[in-house]
Amino acid sequence: MQRLPESTYAGKGRANDARHPTSGFRGAWSRAFLMRDFGIAVVALLIGLGFSLASPVFLSTYNLLNLLRQTAELGIIAMAMTMLIISGEFDLSVGAIYAVTGVVTGLLAKRFGLEIWAAAICGLASALILGLLNGLLVTTTKINSFIATLSTMMVYRGIAMVLSQGQPISSFQFETAFFDIMGRGKGFGTIPVPIFWMAAWGVLLFLLLHRTAFGVKLYATGDNPEAATLAGIKITQVKRVGFLITSLAAGLAGLVSLGYLKTVTPTQGTGLELEAIAAAVIGGTSMAGGVGSIVGTFIGTFIMAEVRTGLVLLGTDAYIQDAFVGLVIALAVIVNIKLTDRRNAKG
Amino acid sequence: MSPLSADLLRIESVSKRFGAVQALSEVSFCVSQQEIVGFAGENGAGKSTLIKILAGIHTADQGAVFLNQKPYAPKDPNAAGRAGLAVFHQEIPICPHLSITANIFLGTQMPKRHFMPDWRVMEARCVDLYRVLLDEDVNPRALIRDVSAAERQLALLVRVLSREAKLIILDEPTTALTPPEVGRLFRVIQNLRAKGISFIFVSHMLEELVELSDRIVVLRDGRHIGTLAREAFELGTLSGMIAGRTLTPPTRDLPSSEQRTVLDVRNLSLTGHFSSVTFSLRAGEILGIAGLTGSGRSVLVRSLFGLHKVESGEVTINNRQIRIRSPHDAIRQGIGYIPEDRKTLGLFPHQDIKTNLYIARTAQRADLLFKDTAGMRDSAASMKKELSIKFRHEDDLIGSLSGGNQQKVLLSRWLLLKPAIILMNEPTRGVDVGAKKEIYDLMFALTLRGFSFIITSSAIEELLVLSDRVLVMNRGRVRTILNRAEATKESIIHAATT
Repeated sequence: MQRLPESTYAGKGRANDARHPTSGFRGAWSRAFLMRDFGIAVVALLIGLGFSLASPVFLSTYNLLNLLRQTAELGIIAMAMTMLIISGEFDLSVGAIYAVTGVVTGLLAKRFGLEIWAAAICGLASALILGLLNGLLVTTTKINSFIATLSTMMVYRGIAMVLSQGQPISSFQFETAFFDIMGRGKGFGTIPVPIFWMAAWGVLLFLLLHRTAFGVKLYATGDNPEAATLAGIKITQVKRVGFLITSLAAGLAGLVSLGYLKTVTPTQGTGLELEAIAAAVIGGTSMAGGVGSIVGTFIGTFIMAEVRTGLVLLGTDAYIQDAFVGLVIALAVIVNIKLTDRRNAKG
Repeated sequence: MSPLSADLLRIESVSKRFGAVQALSEVSFCVSQQEIVGFAGENGAGKSTLIKILAGIHTADQGAVFLNQKPYAPKDPNAAGRAGLAVFHQEIPICPHLSITANIFLGTQMPKRHFMPDWRVMEARCVDLYRVLLDEDVNPRALIRDVSAAERQLALLVRVLSREAKLIILDEPTTALTPPEVGRLFRVIQNLRAKGISFIFVSHMLEELVELSDRIVVLRDGRHIGTLAREAFELGTLSGMIAGRTLTPPTRDLPSSEQRTVLDVRNLSLTGHFSSVTFSLRAGEILGIAGLTGSGRSVLVRSLFGLHKVESGEVTINNRQIRIRSPHDAIRQGIGYIPEDRKTLGLFPHQDIKTNLYIARTAQRADLLFKDTAGMRDSAASMKKELSIKFRHEDDLIGSLSGGNQQKVLLSRWLLLKPAIILMNEPTRGVDVGAKKEIYDLMFALTLRGFSFIITSSAIEELLVLSDRVLVMNRGRVRTILNRAEATKESIIHAATT
C-alpha cells in the first residue's frame, strides 16, 4: 500500500529524492543545483559577469584582491553573526564592539605605553567581556535581542567615545610587526593579510558550525528552542557562546582595521551591524533561526563588495552607491528565494 | 435516506491526481441539510485533498460538485466562503492581539460612526450573535490571545456563521481541546445542526466520530470505501474499514511483580500543582497517569523531567537518589520525554531526519567534538529497521514523514540513549489508526526489553489499553493507583472526579 506522505498536499514537499540523484553529468548538475548555497553563488557570478562586461578592470587580480581585502572585516563579522542568527538571536552592537576594541588597543599602546600585542589582547578581552554582557542580558532577562543589543550598541559606542574623548588615535611612533601582521602585509607577495584573517576565521567557523556537535546544537536551538530544551540542549549556554563568538569576531575585525589603517576612530563601524545582517540574509540565513551557512554568508558579503567596487569602477556618483547596494540586497534575496523554491519544488 | 432535494452538497465521482499519486479516485457522496457527516481515513487517504477541493484550494481533475443543486467549483477560499461553505483547519487563522469582536467583524463592512468603526454597536451585535447562534455568553472585549483554544474556535464559528455559512468543515477540531471543552464544542455543533447548519467532521479520534456523526464516510487510498449509518457504528468495524485490515486490540503479558523497582517517588510536592505524590515504577512496566485538566498530572510528568522545580520530596532511580534540575539532568539520569505536541515541542522542522533522530545524543556530546555523522547514519538505519520507520533517506527533512513516523523518530531519539524511563505525554495524538496500533505494539515490545514508561493521555481508552497500572490524580493528590483488573473507564472517572 503506497501511502502518500502528509507533506505532499501540505505544499511543503522537498526535493528529497533529487538530493541524492543518479550519477553522470545530469547527476552532477542536479547535485550542484541542489547544493545549499547554489542559488546565491549563481547570483554572485551573474553580478560579477555583468560588471566585467561593463568594465574590463573588474576581473583583474588586483581588483579582486582589493575587493576581498576591503570586505574582510565585514566578512569576519558577518560569518559570526550568521551563527548567532541561526541560534535565533541578533547582535546590533558589533559595530560598537569593533570600535571599542580599536580604541582600547590604541589607548593602551599609545597613552599607557603597553606593548602593542599585549594591548591587542586586552582589546580582544574587552570585546569578549562586552559580548558576555550581551549574552547575559539577553538570556537572563529574555529581552528580544534586537532591543537588548540596540541598547548595548549605544552604551558601547558611548564607551568608545568617552575613552577616546571623541578623537582618533593614530601616529603610533614605535617600530613593530603588528601592523604588517594584522593588516598591511602581503602573503605570497600579493595577497593582502586581511584576506588570510578572513579565510582562517571562516574555516574555523565553518568547522565549528558544520562539523561539530556545537553546530548541531546551534541549529537546533534556533529551529525550535522548546524542543531543543526537551532534547537536553542547554540553550542559554549555546546562545551565550554565540554572543561571545560574534563579539570576538568584532574584536578581530577591529584589530585588522587598526593594523591596516594604523589609526582608530571611535565612530568607526557605524552601520557595520546592519551590513553584517544583510550579508547573512543575502546568503540564505533565515531571520527566524535554524537555517543558514558560513559559505552562503561569505558569498553574501562578496556580493555586497562586488556591487560597491563595480560601481566605483563604472565611475558612478558616490552618493548613489548606497542606494544601489540596497537594491542589490533586495534583488539577491528575491533570486535566492526563487531558486530555493524551484529546488524544493523539484522533488 | 433523505430525498435528493434536501442534499446540500453532492459530490459526483471526483478524482484528483498529484504527479504520480492518485489522491482521489471517483469519490461520490452527499451531505443533507442538518446533517453531520464524519470523515474517517488514515493520513494520505484523501481526506485533506477532498477538503481542499471543497475549500477552493485545489480543483478536481474529474467529477462534479453541487452545492444547493448548483454546480460548485470555487476558484479560491473566498469564493467558497461566499457560496456558504467554511473550512476550519487545525491552525486557527485568527488575530491573537485583537478582541473577539474585532475578529468576528474583520473583513466585513463594519458599522461606522463619524468615519470610525463603531465598537459599541459591534460589541452588542457580537453578544447577540453568541446568544442566538450558540446560546453562550461572551466577553466581546476579551483579546483572543487571552482566551482558551476552545473559545477561539467558538469565535471562528461565530465569524463564519455571521457570514451565512451553511456547511462547515471541521478538520481535526478537537486536537487542542480538553475533554470538557470537546463536550462543549459537540453540544454547540448539535445545537447548530438543529438550526439548519450541516457539518463535515474530520477526526482521527474514532470515538469522537461515532459520538457526533450522523453518518461516517470512510476513505482509503483515495477511494470511498463505504459509508456507515448511525445504527451501524461500531469501533471495530470502523477501524477495520479505515485500515483495510482487521486490527486486533494489542495485548501483552503483565510484567511479573518481582521485577526490580526502577523509579521511586516519595512525597513529591509543588505548591499549587501537586502535593505528597508517592509511587513507584517497575522495570518493564507502563504506568498510566489519569486525571482531569488541572489535576496536576501533566505538571507532575513535566517535573519528573526537570521542567518544573519541585519543592520537596525524593526521587530515586535504580536505588540512587537524584536531583533533577533541568531536562539535561533528567536525561543524564536516564529519563526521556516525548511531549504532547510533536510539532511545537518535539521536531526541528528545518533539520533532516538523522539530526532529529540523534539530537538527544548530540546534546550530551561535548561541544567541540565532531558531530558524529557516521553515528547519525547508522542510528537512522538501525532504527528504521527496528521500528519500521518509513522514510526514503535520512538526509530528507523531518517534515516529509507522516505523523506516525515522526512519532517513531521521537521515540528512537530516546531509545538511542537507552533510558530507564520514558515519559510520554499523549503518545498517539495526531497519529492515524494503523500507526497507533504500531506504536502500541512497539511500546509493548520495548517493555519486554526492560524499558519502562510513564504515560499520560486525555483519552482514557488509551490509558486502559497501554497501562499495567493507572495512577489517578485528583486535585493535586494521588487519589488511587488501580491495577489492570481494577482499571475501567468508570473507575478512573470516578476516582478523578470524586
